[in-house]
Amino acid sequence: MTRKTFLKTAGVGIAGAAAAGLAGCSSSTPSHGGSGWKQYSGMTLNFISENTGPSSAIAANLQPFVDLTGINVNISQLVLTSVEQKVALDLSAHSGQYQVIYADPYNIMAPLSDGFADLSTFMHDKTLPSVPKGTADFVPTQLLAAGRFGDKLLALPYDCPTIIWCYRKDLFEKYHDAMQHDLGFDPTPSIKTTWDQYLQMARWFNTNQDEVPYGTGHQAKQFTSLNDDFANVLWAYGGDYFHNGQHIGKYGSTDPGPCTLDQPEAIRAAEFYNEMLSVAHPGSVSWDWNDLAEAFGDGLIAMCPCWHEDAASWFAPGGLGDKIGFSPLPTGPARSANHYGGTGISINKYITTDEQRAAWLFLVWATAPQTQEAGLFSKVGGGTPTRQSVYQMPKVKRATKPPSDAPNMIPYDAVKVAWEPQNIGLRPKVPYWNQCDAVIFTELSKMLAGHKSPADAMRDAKRGVDDAVNGGSSGV
Amino acid sequence: MASRALEAARLRPIRQGKRRFSFEVKMMLPALLILAAISIVPFFYLIYMTLNKISLVGGVGIAPKWIGFHNWAQMFTDSNVGAGWITMVIFFVATVGLEMLLGLGIALLVYEMVWGKNIVLSILLIPMFVAPVIVGLLGRFLVNPTYGVYAWVLRETHIFTGNILGGQVSAFIAVVLMDVWEWTPLIVLITLAGLVSVPGQVLEAAKVDGAGYWQRLRHVVVPSISGIVLVALLIRSMDALRYFDVIWQSTAGGPANATKIIPLRLYEVAFQFLNLGYAATIGIVMLALSIAIAMLFTGILRRRGLIG
Amino acid sequence: MSQTHTARRGLRLPGRRIVLYVALAVVVLWTVVPVAWMAISSLKNPADVLSRTPLLDFSPTMANYAGLFSGGNSLLTYVRSSVLAAGISTILATVLGSLAGYGLARSRWRGKRHLAFWIISTRMVPIAAVILPLYIGFTYLHLINSIWALVVAYLSFNLPFAIWIMNAFFADLPQGIEEAARVDGANRFQTFYRIAVPLTKPGIVTTAILCLVFAWNDYAFAVTFSGPGSATLPVAASQLITQTGVNWGQLTAIGTVVALPMVVIGLAVRKYLVRGLTLGAVTGE
Repeated sequence: MTRKTFLKTAGVGIAGAAAAGLAGCSSSTPSHGGSGWKQYSGMTLNFISENTGPSSAIAANLQPFVDLTGINVNISQLVLTSVEQKVALDLSAHSGQYQVIYADPYNIMAPLSDGFADLSTFMHDKTLPSVPKGTADFVPTQLLAAGRFGDKLLALPYDCPTIIWCYRKDLFEKYHDAMQHDLGFDPTPSIKTTWDQYLQMARWFNTNQDEVPYGTGHQAKQFTSLNDDFANVLWAYGGDYFHNGQHIGKYGSTDPGPCTLDQPEAIRAAEFYNEMLSVAHPGSVSWDWNDLAEAFGDGLIAMCPCWHEDAASWFAPGGLGDKIGFSPLPTGPARSANHYGGTGISINKYITTDEQRAAWLFLVWATAPQTQEAGLFSKVGGGTPTRQSVYQMPKVKRATKPPSDAPNMIPYDAVKVAWEPQNIGLRPKVPYWNQCDAVIFTELSKMLAGHKSPADAMRDAKRGVDDAVNGGSSGV
Repeated sequence: MASRALEAARLRPIRQGKRRFSFEVKMMLPALLILAAISIVPFFYLIYMTLNKISLVGGVGIAPKWIGFHNWAQMFTDSNVGAGWITMVIFFVATVGLEMLLGLGIALLVYEMVWGKNIVLSILLIPMFVAPVIVGLLGRFLVNPTYGVYAWVLRETHIFTGNILGGQVSAFIAVVLMDVWEWTPLIVLITLAGLVSVPGQVLEAAKVDGAGYWQRLRHVVVPSISGIVLVALLIRSMDALRYFDVIWQSTAGGPANATKIIPLRLYEVAFQFLNLGYAATIGIVMLALSIAIAMLFTGILRRRGLIG
Repeated sequence: MSQTHTARRGLRLPGRRIVLYVALAVVVLWTVVPVAWMAISSLKNPADVLSRTPLLDFSPTMANYAGLFSGGNSLLTYVRSSVLAAGISTILATVLGSLAGYGLARSRWRGKRHLAFWIISTRMVPIAAVILPLYIGFTYLHLINSIWALVVAYLSFNLPFAIWIMNAFFADLPQGIEEAARVDGANRFQTFYRIAVPLTKPGIVTTAILCLVFAWNDYAFAVTFSGPGSATLPVAASQLITQTGVNWGQLTAIGTVVALPMVVIGLAVRKYLVRGLTLGAVTGE
């Protein structure tokens, strides 16, 4: 039985199989792998990544890959802005420093799309291992949002943080009746709750209890986090950054047309956001996502829209743990929109064919179900899987209920709903997104500081975005 | 003087070409060659960049497209660059001004010390050895509204109960103070060196004449150290325009652009907008202004006869 | 010196003395609290670091330091890169800067002032602006991802600085001694090496220390030009900011690790620093 058929009949991901004992098997057939895993033994790959859970988990447990392929991997983990800078320079100068790249769909893949190798080449290559269970196993919207640009597949989905509604279950239970009496609706958080009701509840918490200082908190620092937070409201109100924005979010576009932030829906969204932030914890305007997660974990607010992978820190020993509940974000006039912030990993186009093929081995392994499962339960705190099959594993299913070995799974019921095509919120993949993003969050920051009305902020943002898309550089 | 004439006499035949390089030039050559390679080449490339559109967007490569003075024209009408400069000027005046005042004051205090001088001076110098990136991160940690020790002190004393990095004025003050914390020691160090050279006899004479401390300070001490204070100002000014680590790590320019000084704008245009031609244009103007400031101060120093 | 010491007893009244020491105490507190708090926090467990009221009564742990130096991404590789990159560039800057500084100090031609000004002006180029030209150059020379890229990048700000300061020290030397040596038959390089260098040892130490501090503390160049094998300590510090939180315990630990060697070295040569900094500027042109 060749290794390939073994893998197929075993019906499990390659990585886990390798970890579970194939290492011994492969050593009996040196330098020759039935499915091509060993063909680049001895090579070294450099992988540049944002400092995220999955990369930490892989860095901490790389041995299965080394055993499987004989390839060594250096992992550089940096803050996202540094990753953007280094990847832009590396691709543009064709220096080939990093073979495997954490390609944030908006900040890295969209602006640099021509610098990444089209993965279909490797996918259809019989001399290379194929994606276990096929690409259909990835959550479909994630495969599009994180992987596609135009008609090419440039990345395999690698992580998937998504903004959902995180709230203090203990407080919502304790004050359920009082809130229902005062506000006249069922306060239990759910996708059916409206944003308007969210705001009313935030106000109610501000004045009617003293267990937490404020009702709501936000990641509204003048930074990407602010636009990320606003986007949930924008989409819920029926607005978007461009016409057909969700389509551009899936397939990308180099010519998205005029920005639509000046449309009535967007302006109403901005007005609502401005009002919501006026009752939010005043710290919000200096918090990025880390600070927000800390503030919530520290009991400063009763609820917030927050990345679901922050759950791990709240369910750590000594944290709030079981006092926390999760729900998809509230519904606006148009829908409930839950901001997807996932990323894929891709291959540098400006390296040798052999290096690209070796990098492909890493991509396949790093996104394989068994690797994701191992990462999820990693002690260093891995990310949630991008594979549907992993969520079917009994061990993973068990982890959705506390006490959990993988606390990032606890929000899964909410996240699963958030990922449904009608609920997911996708930023547009346009080449000048970084500049658009900076324009928008700066205008929003000015709005929150009271310098501009929401309508003026949105109109100025539209002007800046149009300028950016047309290759202007004035920025914000 | 005699040696100078001797030297000149010795130099003359060299100029006439008997030897290709004089000893002095040979000594300088390795350093100057390296310096030329790592500064002249990049400098001319920067100038060339300002005349091109060099955008990394696309990820295909660095393909300069000649656009003449478009970047320059755009920069002079770019209100955001203008705003960056205004913030920069306020930041520069606030930080360098405070550093000079505090540095001078602290140096005078230390100078008056009788015991414990060495240990106190050692402690006071510590901040200048701490990496700016650490200062920015540490600042963020200290003023964090939840667990920051400074935020706690201000809250308990009711001096400031808001969120320090969340308010535009308070965030600006915070980043100014971070910079002041780090670089005041340098001014203290330099000023102290100047104070050591204040003529003792003059001071004594002034005292005999009945001059009080403040009078002596104004009429004897300050005039005799003003040169060295200018030197301190020069050293500090040269770096003030280059460094942005502290703000980058603490506020990243926010809130509402309140702390977005020009080097941050430059970084953003270069590596987030990936528009390097335009970034180079901003960079060249920053360089020109740094040089202008340096020339201004060295000019003053030269007129005072402090430098040759 | 002793004369000035007795001459400047300005604050003889006890009241004034008290004011002086109170003011100094405030200044010392302002200076020390941030670094002390950093060092204290580095010894706390995660819950204590994030305590809402400042904790001084806690059970110290070395876990943060242990975490830094264990595991796949051990801090030791960063320490190694930092030591090599900062060390080599410091040695190069000091040696070449001394040679050039001497040459400049002994030059007698008229345009010298402009050369000196050009040298120091190369240090004023904005960091973010030169990154692209340097990056292209480094790529061309295959220096990216090696500590040599950092060494060269650090030279770009340390070499002009070293030439500037060393020039001042050599210009300050009385020339009579050197001329005496020349009469005794020493050639000019021997004069430089045997006479001038030993006499300016304090200046050389100062130059080396300041170059070391600048290079050691650099972040902007390090994060751009280093690769997985050559990342330095300040880069490691920024890596503790993750997508899901900042590990303040480890961050304060790494801050302490980065700061401690420079503080120790800097304070050890404090006396030279005063002289080096002021001379470098006063006669630096």
